[in-house]
Amino acid sequence: MAQIETLGILEEIEPLVSDKLQVVSYKWLSRNYLVSSNTAKRLLQEFVDKHRSGLEVVYTLSGWLKGDHRNYHIRLVSSPKLAEAKQEFDGNCSVQVYSVQSCIPKDPAALWNSEFVQAEELFKQHFTIDNCLRDNRFCGISNSFVQRNVEGTPGMIANPLPKTAGGIGQSKSSSVSQNSTVPQPQHYKVQQSSQKVGLQSPNVVKDTESEITGTGVHGQNTKPPADKEKVPPLPAGKKKVQNGKSTSDTGGSLANFWGRASAKSKPSVPPENTDVIANPTANAEAQICAREALDGGSSDDDGEKINFKRASNGEGSRKRRVVFDLSDEDEYEDAVNLASPDIPKGQSSLDQKQSTKLLVSEKSKLNSEKEIENKSKVKEEMVTDKESNLPLREDSSVISKGANAGTSSPEKVQICIPESELNKEDKATLAAPNSPKKRKVLKTRIDERGREVTEVIWDGEEAEAKKADSSKTKKSDSSTVGNTVNRPPAAKKSPAIGNTVPSNPTGKAGNKKAGSSKDPKQGNILSFFKRV
Amino acid sequence: MLELRLVQGSLLKKVLEAIKDLVNDANFDCSATGFSLQAMDSSHVALVALLLRSEGFEHYRCDRNLSMGMNLGNMAKMLKCAGNDDIITLKADDGSDTVTFMFESPTQDKISDFEMKLMDIDSEHLGIPEAEYHAIVRMPSSEFGRICKDLSSIGDTVVISVTKEGVKFSTRGDIGTANIVCRQNNTVDKPEEATIIEMTEPVSLTFALRYMNSFTKATPLSSIVTLSLSSDLPVVVEYKIAEMGYIRFYLAPKIEEDEDETKPQV
Repeated sequence: MAQIETLGILEEIEPLVSDKLQVVSYKWLSRNYLVSSNTAKRLLQEFVDKHRSGLEVVYTLSGWLKGDHRNYHIRLVSSPKLAEAKQEFDGNCSVQVYSVQSCIPKDPAALWNSEFVQAEELFKQHFTIDNCLRDNRFCGISNSFVQRNVEGTPGMIANPLPKTAGGIGQSKSSSVSQNSTVPQPQHYKVQQSSQKVGLQSPNVVKDTESEITGTGVHGQNTKPPADKEKVPPLPAGKKKVQNGKSTSDTGGSLANFWGRASAKSKPSVPPENTDVIANPTANAEAQICAREALDGGSSDDDGEKINFKRASNGEGSRKRRVVFDLSDEDEYEDAVNLASPDIPKGQSSLDQKQSTKLLVSEKSKLNSEKEIENKSKVKEEMVTDKESNLPLREDSSVISKGANAGTSSPEKVQICIPESELNKEDKATLAAPNSPKKRKVLKTRIDERGREVTEVIWDGEEAEAKKADSSKTKKSDSSTVGNTVNRPPAAKKSPAIGNTVPSNPTGKAGNKKAGSSKDPKQGNILSFFKRV
Repeated sequence: MLELRLVQGSLLKKVLEAIKDLVNDANFDCSATGFSLQAMDSSHVALVALLLRSEGFEHYRCDRNLSMGMNLGNMAKMLKCAGNDDIITLKADDGSDTVTFMFESPTQDKISDFEMKLMDIDSEHLGIPEAEYHAIVRMPSSEFGRICKDLSSIGDTVVISVTKEGVKFSTRGDIGTANIVCRQNNTVDKPEEATIIEMTEPVSLTFALRYMNSFTKATPLSSIVTLSLSSDLPVVVEYKIAEMGYIRFYLAPKIEEDEDETKPQV
């Protein structure tokens, strides 16, 4: 099955890259087509081999750096610089395709943009929908206190390490995510009934276990159901969830909820491991507290939290989304660290590790090894965090600059103008090559005070999206594709980035503003008067 | 050493109000002839040129040419502290990185000093060639301001078409279209209410209303506005500042590629 599917994927990459001008990274690929990140990398490599010309490749180099500071280093380099970059690494470094695109984007954030959009869409899906981010299907990062077990996919809940997978466990992993889950639909039912019983009871165990397997089901073998679930648009879904969840617990704090996370992981782990778990539990709780403190005060927030909490009560493994949905700018960044949308990339390979670790620890409890691994991972995380977070910051700073200062915008405008001159749609794709349906578009306009405001707004082209949808679904016989195709519309409805980004502060993203902002037709005074 | 004493201080206040939204930072150039400023808006679509001739000041001393970079928003903040009847004096020492605004109340019983930090601004001085414009429209500035305001509630762009009969402002938006025609009219009692059109050939140009609206902030400076249009040049929107100079706004037209946009029949 995998082979067949991947063939289809390969064919679909090409139009994405050449026509949609999208940056196709392996993470994106992995999530979009529900393949493990290693498969995705392999696919990209194949793709690159096939279509050597006419595309640009960004490679991930990872290895130990030469020199005094022997850091484990992961670096993205474009193909022309590959050889040069390799020199900087000590000995062998792993070289993998990070992304393919038609041209190297000027703004490095564009590399990461489509992934981010995708991750966001995934996280914005209805609570009841399991997607590869929620259940961390592809995640291979081991965490000693959060363990999935039994037939469930070993997953990880805390501390997903973004982008780490790079060099690690490349070869081992792919099998895990695919094999480890045995679909057990009946568990799902158990879980539902247990929802009603409440939080801290032993039921929780079942609950979560089944949850996991349930998600596994979605992820692996039974894609059609996932499909269905993904269809319901968000807003309606939310309501339902809240109603449905009211049975599970009212009030209560997030801490409860996180406490339960650990509660769940405990039983699922072999007894020897319990002490290992105990600590992290405390840890997790501490984290919650910190988070709560962070959230501080605002009753609105609280309300939200409670809602989310309720929702998630029923759905053991989805804490992360809570963090995400509450996004408030700072917190949001935290959330990225914590819950990194990058998971899938690393997932499968790390998955592997976790599962092996599980086995190991069950038998011989090789904690030390774990620690070592963790350490190296942490390092990587630092590196990769930089990579993954910087763009974000850059983005938002751009935005805030544009919104507040205006002085900074001229350069930006100049960047934008040529783009826009090309033609608007092109520009949209250029500026934000991401999921076909929804684009993040840089728009510049003059506000009431005559200042330049550059904003990132969501350019959801419904019609086009639908078109794409239907055509894609037609094309794809494999349900996987249908699955992924169905996602974006659901997520489209809630442009959460609007919260963090002043997307349409005036609420007039419509034709009016767009028309006047960076109008390609607007002449430039400099073309009339020359500098002296 | 620079010392400019402007009896009609409100004038400077109005000037700042007129340009501060269009331009954030600008260099004020002081020379023996006067106090001037030229700056583009950040998107380089519009340009503002201000001239206050030295004769207009009660006292004008400028030992050497001096360029003072100021944040117009901050300058406006300071000038807001001046009363409308206050006498404003600008002072700057050679080599100093500050400028001082002194406000004297008309009765001389209150004197305020505001010192503002100057800034280094890369000035992009543009040479504006003298040009013969195809059409020059003089009309009441308040009328022009009203038209721009009204049209901007309907559309983004205004097409200004000048014919012998009059000047037509048209726009088109989602909700519909609007056309406002001002006929030539020089038979009014007060000269400032006249609409006068001098035209060598018909002109029709499209402009972003956003900028036009920004220009009309200069309306308090003058009861008359002059629009000078040529088909291949930026429009000049000029407000004369009584006995002192002018403030001119240049706005690059929109390039009309597709004719169906908002272009009316001329």
